Amino acid sequence: MSAFQELVSRYHQKVYMVILGLLRNREDALDVAQETFFRAYRKIQSFQGGSSFYTWIYRIAVNLAIDAQRRQKRNPLDFRESMDGVLEAQNEVAKDPFSDVHDKELRENMIKAINDLTPEHKAVIVLRTIEGLSYKDIGEILGCSEGTVMSRLHYARKKLHDKLSAFL
Amino acid sequence: MSECESIQESIGRWLDGEMPASESESVRAHVARCTDCGEARRRLEKMQIALKSVLAAETTPIEFMPFWRAVERRISEKSAWYEDWLDRARGLFTAPRLAWAVPVAIGLLLVLFSTDGWRFGGSRGNFASVESIDAYGRSVALLRQNESKTTVIWLYQDQEGDNEAADDSAKTAPAF
Repeated sequence: MSAFQELVSRYHQKVYMVILGLLRNREDALDVAQETFFRAYRKIQSFQGGSSFYTWIYRIAVNLAIDAQRRQKRNPLDFRESMDGVLEAQNEVAKDPFSDVHDKELRENMIKAINDLTPEHKAVIVLRTIEGLSYKDIGEILGCSEGTVMSRLHYARKKLHDKLSAFL
Repeated sequence: MSECESIQESIGRWLDGEMPASESESVRAHVARCTDCGEARRRLEKMQIALKSVLAAETTPIEFMPFWRAVERRISEKSAWYEDWLDRARGLFTAPRLAWAVPVAIGLLLVLFSTDGWRFGGSRGNFASVESIDAYGRSVALLRQNESKTTVIWLYQDQEGDNEAADDSAKTAPAF
């Protein structure tokens, strides 16, 4: 196994998860994840030891995903159907954590609210929620300061909270 | 801003563990005794759990080998010679860099003209200059009237077809 293949095997799942969180579509996320590693291969000489490899690869992934998201012209209905399809494929419906009607409504509204976030707000939410990254690492990935990350997270959560207040 | 408003603004940062220990302790103590802030914490935690469940629900593990083969295929496909150059050019012309370019250009022009005045013992008359910033018709005009000590910086873009007229007007300094 080559060194690059080893890197891909170590990070492909995490990179895919972050991109999927941003794009909300499995096919698009897979395509962008593959493109991420392709770009990483081409630019590997520009990787400097100053940042860790995962922040570098996430930076490529998030930038590509944000570009893709801006191009994406999917409507919320497609997006919800895509989510349900995934849940069924996983046999997750039976053990859905949102088992009662109220919580199902919360889930549906949550999906809509996430979809309404700007790409920048969605990026901080996904990196924090899925990966549990520190503000410092998120700042490195998105090329902004910790203060900006803090502010974006605050406003993204406020937007979600405002749209979901009836269910919380 | 009241203490409760301030605490509720920072509850997210506190729950994220991104707060210094002393500040964190004071938030914890306040949230423990204040009903409103305790409720704000509960709602935020519930929202975080729902958010995590929604985001995690759709993630299925992807098989490595098919993924790697697809990456390998992209690598082995010979990319066009200009793609590397386009990539580098995209990096140079990002929006933030272009946004800086205009004020920097204006600043340089101002420095240039003030140095000019200093070198030649200061200009007593009025002054006008038109400089093109780039190839897209964007120009900056500097108009200075010494009597009233007024400098006007005029940033504008020529409309297509008006370039010739703009060039002509650039040659003749506007009268004050």
